[in-house]
Amino acid sequence: MGVSAIDIDHLTKRYGETVAVDDLSFKVEPGRLVGFLGPNGAGKTTTLRALLGLIRPTDGTATVEGSPFGDLADPAHTVGAVLDGGMLHPSRSGRNHLRMLARAAAVPNSRVDELLKLVDLADAADRRAGGYSLGMRQRLGLAAALLGDPRVLVLDEPANGLDPQGIRWLRDFLRSMAAQGRAVLVSSHVLAEVAQTADEVVVIARGRSVAQAPLKELLATSGGGMRVAGPDAGRVAELLRGTGAAVDAASDGAIVVRDRSGEDIGVLVAEHRLVISELSPISSSLEEIFFQLTGDPGTVA
Amino acid sequence: MTRLVSAELLKLRSTRTALALIGSVVGLVVLIGLIASITADFKRDDVRTVDLLGIAGFAQVFALILGILAVTTEFRHGTITPTLTVGPDRVRLVLAKLVAHVLAGLLLGILAVGLTTAIVLIVLSSRGIDTGLTNGDVAGVVVGLVLATGLWAALGVGLGALVRNQVGAIVGALGWALLVENLLTIIPTVGDWVQKYGLNGATNALSHVESEQTGDVLSQAAGGALLLLYTTAFVIAGTLAMRRRDITS
Repeated sequence: MGVSAIDIDHLTKRYGETVAVDDLSFKVEPGRLVGFLGPNGAGKTTTLRALLGLIRPTDGTATVEGSPFGDLADPAHTVGAVLDGGMLHPSRSGRNHLRMLARAAAVPNSRVDELLKLVDLADAADRRAGGYSLGMRQRLGLAAALLGDPRVLVLDEPANGLDPQGIRWLRDFLRSMAAQGRAVLVSSHVLAEVAQTADEVVVIARGRSVAQAPLKELLATSGGGMRVAGPDAGRVAELLRGTGAAVDAASDGAIVVRDRSGEDIGVLVAEHRLVISELSPISSSLEEIFFQLTGDPGTVA
Repeated sequence: MTRLVSAELLKLRSTRTALALIGSVVGLVVLIGLIASITADFKRDDVRTVDLLGIAGFAQVFALILGILAVTTEFRHGTITPTLTVGPDRVRLVLAKLVAHVLAGLLLGILAVGLTTAIVLIVLSSRGIDTGLTNGDVAGVVVGLVLATGLWAALGVGLGALVRNQVGAIVGALGWALLVENLLTIIPTVGDWVQKYGLNGATNALSHVESEQTGDVLSQAAGGALLLLYTTAFVIAGTLAMRRRDITS
């Protein structure tokens, strides 16, 4: 196996007494779309800034294709990044914003025009960027990230300010980027934005990784569990507890089993010839899982 | 490096700031140049033609501001982040800004000095006043003023990279150059030093606009060298600060 596209290795960043990122590790492989999730202030932006060489880690490393960002031979063609949308000079036009970056990256102006069309800004390109909506700024930022046709994309909250159509467009777009073999790391504080598209998610809270898994696994392990009701529900609970399962009693006499699949419970019921009237999964929304993991219900978005 | 300089020149051209600063300089120089050369009374001893050419020195303050904006604007609007994601080498970035802004400063100087010289010489000759200036005198002042303007732009780039805060850097620089140094000259002994070796003293020596009047003035070459020394110190300090800094804006 070659080097990972992105490798965050025991990264720690302290600002004085405050620990922004605490011994965080994860990798992103080429062709994978990874969601980087956590409430606001969890350390996502700090991690991405360390990855892009903008801040110096207190400890640990953050590398792109095996090198620190500053040591890459051709950074603009290796990594494209958007951090915090809206980093524009208000009196410079969108086209000139891209052109000045294109010049520094040795990218021709024709590529700028091409990208302006791609992100649907061709009509507004010659207006002062100060008048752009948040969504337009996000799209301009995305165009800037794509200037060098990079193999690795790093996007910080790219869905902020986009309307539902825009979010959908962004999802399809990111999916296609990953399908072309690029590594894509997308941060968000809103799980649902990323959930349907990401191959896997890294969830952080207070600078630490709290979960790192494909989304389906996360749903399975952190889901709402199985509800069992019926005359023998109490007996089922006893048997399951005997096998070490976490079982709670619901108010109506039914039980909720946290860590056994429906099939496990079904087999048990059949083996002991018990009678139940209901065996159903409790749907738990992505947000609930998110809050459960990050322990932070204060940032509902 | 050429790519980075070209990017910096485009940054200068693509906002209205540089244009507004250049426009202000041209407007001021033309206005004050005209008024001064029309009303100047040469029968009094203390007015000399060379002082009129010194009006072009206005351009230096504007070049300083232009230079300060080179780095501070990127922090103020957060464009430093995309700038550093396409080219992470911060030393090269400061050097590219330095080259681009010294070029802009020199251009500003040429514009201001050219206009002033033309206005002063034309107005005086139409008033039938003998300027008493040799071509050598004029050339010395013109070259000195233009170089000083370029160096003030470079000084601004270094200071902006060091301070990063736009308002702080501009207020500090203008406060020092226009106010503090003048106040310091009141103090005995120290005042003489400030007048001779201060930012304005070095600049005036390089511009050659204060040759005999104040007596104790550095030679043009020494003034230029001293101003270059100040500028280099700020550029090095600014570059070192940029290298170390965490970019969080």
